[in-house]
Amino acid sequence: MKIKRIPALLATIGVALLVASPIAAQLKSPDDVKTALRLLVQVSNDFKRQITAKNFARLPHENMEYHEAADALRAAVKDEPAAFKNKAETRLKAAVAEYQKISDMSANAPDADKLMAEHAKAVAAMNALFDLFPADLRPDPNTPPGRGRGPAPAAN
Amino acid sequence: MLALLLGCGRKPKPEQVVDLYIESDGDFLDFLPDTLTCPTGARVRLTFHHAGKIISARHDWVLTYPGRLQALTKDCLDHDGILPQDDPLVIATTPLCDKGQTVMVEFIAPRAGDYPFVCGTHPEDMRGILRITS
Repeated sequence: MKIKRIPALLATIGVALLVASPIAAQLKSPDDVKTALRLLVQVSNDFKRQITAKNFARLPHENMEYHEAADALRAAVKDEPAAFKNKAETRLKAAVAEYQKISDMSANAPDADKLMAEHAKAVAAMNALFDLFPADLRPDPNTPPGRGRGPAPAAN
Repeated sequence: MLALLLGCGRKPKPEQVVDLYIESDGDFLDFLPDTLTCPTGARVRLTFHHAGKIISARHDWVLTYPGRLQALTKDCLDHDGILPQDDPLVIATTPLCDKGQTVMVEFIAPRAGDYPFVCGTHPEDMRGILRITS
């Protein structure tokens, strides 16, 4: 009896693996997704930099840019299956809400330490979103923005 | 007197005009290319295109002297990217522009050397070198 169940079990596992396989392997616009994810990280890093520099007045502008990057991701996945799109939207909304919170906090008696703590939460929410996408499309959140990194130190 | 007369007869050296083009790496914080070259004394006509399509960040192109990159970066950060017109660190600068826009600046290339340039609003990320040859 148990032996008879093995093929069915294997088939179930196979189907489950297929469903859970990186949906991005079949993404319709992988380049657009990659760009949007990279922009989200770029803006997030700018948030952190402005908080570190105590340049709190810039945070609402960074928040606007985060919304723009989020819209770019929505556009990049618009033709994906509804189930994936909905999951991505849920996590994207959560990340956007976290960055919105930082922006809102910056308007009322901003505190750099509290803002940094909120930023860490926002990054965690963003990483949860990134988990939906394959590794080769995800930017490294620790990589600073800018590819060229500017001139050699001798020019400084 | 003779030298003066000889000098009067000399034809002025024709001015060399060099056209340079640079753009942002789409919406990312990079210049493409990040190294430019021109000869000293040339009249440089530099065109900068903001190739972004998504993010509403503004960019420009600001040239400074060798060894003054850190000072310029601090200046840019202190002034939120809007540098005073008579900033002594600035050799040349384009106006700030929005995504999709193209702006231009003309200047005479100073003596040979490696001159750093930045975007005034993103001086820590968007950087490059104008190599002026003798």
